[in-house]
Formats: sequence, C-alpha cells, structure tokens
Amino acid sequence: MAYQAVTIKAGKGGFGGPLTLVPTDTRNKVVSITGGGIHPIAAKIAEMTGCPAVDGFSTGVPDNEIMVAIVDCGGTARCGVYPKKRIFTVNVLPVGQTGPLARFITPDIYVSAVDESCISLADASAAAVAPKPSAGTPTNPASAPKTKAQAKEEVAKMNEGKEKNLATRIGIAIGGVVNKFYAAGRETIDITVKTILPFMAFVSMILGIISASGAGDVIANTISPIASTLPGMLIVSFICAIPFISPVLGPGAVIAQVVGTLLGVQIGLGNIPPQYALPALFAIDAQVGCDFIPVGMSLGEAEPETIELGVPAILYSRVITGPIAVLIAYVFSIGLYS
Amino acid sequence: METIATFANGFMDLFRAGSETFIAWVTGIIPLVVIMMTAVNSLIKLIGEDRVNGVAEFATKYTVTRYTILPVLAVIFLCNPMCYTFGRFVEEKNKPAFYDAAVSFVHPVTGLFPHANGGELFVYMGIAAGITQLGLSLGDLAVRYFIVGVIVILIRGIVTDRIYAHMSSKK
Repeated sequence: MAYQAVTIKAGKGGFGGPLTLVPTDTRNKVVSITGGGIHPIAAKIAEMTGCPAVDGFSTGVPDNEIMVAIVDCGGTARCGVYPKKRIFTVNVLPVGQTGPLARFITPDIYVSAVDESCISLADASAAAVAPKPSAGTPTNPASAPKTKAQAKEEVAKMNEGKEKNLATRIGIAIGGVVNKFYAAGRETIDITVKTILPFMAFVSMILGIISASGAGDVIANTISPIASTLPGMLIVSFICAIPFISPVLGPGAVIAQVVGTLLGVQIGLGNIPPQYALPALFAIDAQVGCDFIPVGMSLGEAEPETIELGVPAILYSRVITGPIAVLIAYVFSIGLYS
Repeated sequence: METIATFANGFMDLFRAGSETFIAWVTGIIPLVVIMMTAVNSLIKLIGEDRVNGVAEFATKYTVTRYTILPVLAVIFLCNPMCYTFGRFVEEKNKPAFYDAAVSFVHPVTGLFPHANGGELFVYMGIAAGITQLGLSLGDLAVRYFIVGVIVILIRGIVTDRIYAHMSSKK
C-alpha cells in the first residue's frame, strides 16, 4: 500500500503546525505515547497515511523509525522531548511552548490540541516542500549557527599567536562568569513565568472555589482521616502504584501536585498532624514518572527491547516499593515537629 | 434585584478566596524560589557538565552508587527531564532500574533544590505550605524528604533490577 502524506493543524487553543507528515519506507511509525494503548488520533493518522500505529508505551521504537509521536502531555516532559530530538510531535492537549524544554517546541515540529478534524490529506505540492526532520540534527535553524561557529573559529585562528595581556584575560573571564549568572537568571524567570505561575493560578482558583463553596469540609472529613493514619497512607500509595492506574495518574505530576496542595491545606488547618507530611509526600507520589517510562529510558539510550521489558518491570516494582517508601518515610518522621 | 446582587457577591467571593491564595503564593514562595534557582543554576553552569560526567562514569560501577549518587547528581545537575540522559553511562540491563531511581528523585529533590524540577514544585510545596501555616520551619522536612528520597531510590533501583532480571531471563 502506498503511503499518504497528511497535514495536521492545531486545534482550538492549540499551538504550532500545520505539520505535513510524509511517510517514507524507513520512517513510517505512528507512535502513541499516551499511557498505554493507541490513542484515537494516532489510529486516525495511521489509517490516513497507511502507516502502522505503535503503542510506544509497551513497544520500543527506534527514533529514526518514528514518523510522528502522539502524546497527551500536560506540559512538562513528553511535549518537549520529541521536538528536542526533531521528531514530529502531536499533542492532543492544548499545550504550547512550556516546560523545561520549551525552546525546542517550535511550530515547525510541534502541534497541539489536535482532534480528528485537524487532520487532512496533504496535497502534492505541500508534500514536496515538507521539511525533512532528522533525529539529532535540526534542519534549517541549526545550519545558520553552525556557519556562525565556523566563522568564529576562523576569527579565533586569525587571532592565534597574538598574546592577550592580563587585563584583557581577566576581563574576558569576568564577562564569562557574569554571562553565566545572567543566563541562569533568565532560565529561572522563564520557568517561573511559563510553568510555576500558571500552576499557581490554576490551583489557587480550585482551592478558592473549594473553600468558598463548602466542598472543603467534605474533603476535610474524607481525606484527613485517611492521610493521618499509617494504614490509610499505605493504601493510598498502593492504589497509586497499581500498574494500570499509575501511568494515568502520572502526567505532569498534576494530580500529585493538586492532592499535595489539598493535604497541605488540611495540615495547615490542623486536621492532619504535621509529622505526617513526610510519609504523605511518598504516599501520593508512588506513581511518579510512570507515564514517562519509555521516553525516559530512550533518553538514557536504552534499546527498544530493554524498554519493552523495562516498562512492566518498573510498574510492578512500584507496587512493592510504593508502600515501602511510605513505611521508611513514616520511620523517618518520628521526632519531626514534636 | 437584591437576590441578583447577593448572587453576584457570592459569585465574586468564590474567586476572592482564590486570589488571596494566589497572592500569598506569589509573594511568599516565588521570590525565594527564584533566587535559589538562579544561584544553583549559575553554580551548575560554572561547574560545567563535563566535570559531572567524570563522576557519573565512576558512580555507575557499584550498585549502591548507581542508584544513589548517579541519579542524585543527574537530577541536580541536569534537572527533569534531561536527567534521564545519564542512563547512557549505565549498562543496558540496569537502565530500567536507573530510570526508576532517577524519576523517583525528581520530587524529593525539590525541597532543597527547587531548580531541579521547577514545573512540579507543588508536590512538596503544597504540603509544605501547610507546615508554614502552622508556623513551623521547613528545613527539617526538606532535609528528611531528601534523605528518605535517597534511601527510596536505592531500594527502588535494586528491586526494579531484580524484577527486570527475572523477566528477561524468562523470555
């Protein structure tokens, strides 16, 4: 069957695109990394292009075979990892340039808030001009800096042999250090504005509504008794670690963060004793990173076979280590705030 | 008319409570986090990745350091999600366990080093906010969270290693 090129544009509230996907004989896998199973969008793209859809959560796929990665990332990790590798990325959630890898999320490689109506067959001319991404080496944007670097090298060569005096060298060294501080500040403000503040806005809205509407009392009466006993927390960690639940709870740690904030409110009100803060931190986090296992391992250059077995190994391991973590934290909480 | 006004007031109250929380967080949490993150980010840039790589290669040799020093360094120096790239120093059979250890540390690290996972601060900060509200200091909790985190990732590394070895021998 001949492959078909498709064009994907951003949905309502989405970012990036339109992307034109042109399958080739080697690069033809539609990989769905959406916490297990093939996402309907991945299935749709696969159907239209004639490419195989692969569940990236249970099957490892080498980067150079991925035509497009379908993710449902809330804004921390997955949405940036594939653009960083210059692999076409389709996010089904309306997430723009955010997260630690925001600078790699560019409209030529990434599109978000995609639903089925966003996907259409590409016409022949669009297919011809489609950019060809190659893993590792960015296309146009990188070629310019490269030549710049070469130019710099030439300048450096010309300067060779000319001794720099002490004052110049000290000046250059200080300049370098100051620049690093400045870059650090810029990175910090970037992440504050792009991820920390939006999260604060969204959670304080929820908290406000909960406390003003009276739902807070319900939470205080249900969550607090569970979170202020050891068996209660062991149960919470066990539930979070159940292999088919943990990948769903994972994305962006949003659920753990919201639950953490709700527990914090109850601790502040005195409904949960403060020393339970430590075991609670582990109880609500037994699922940490379970949504990200295949991607995380591929960042560590693991072979696809390793990833395939590694995913269930980690998920099973959590069922054991989740409650153990709570027990250890419980022991270490002895003497805390008393 | 009056009912409409009451309703409108009630409606606004829903959001007023939220705005107070927001102000408290922005003024109470952000300034300190911004300064800490800038300081640690600068330090990391000054030290440079190359020097960390040397330590990382050494740390992969022994089980204990592979699931403690290596992931801790990776998370502090490369932050979430690039810390998982340290998996390249690890033997193939240990890669799942290394990932498990590293990812399990991205929250315990935030008590002392918020820069390492700025996008997911509120697992810790949410609970910590309650402690602050009680007038208690956070240092003790942050240090214990870090220490327990290191112990937990070691156990997780070892357990996942065993399970993975068992599964791959069956295949």
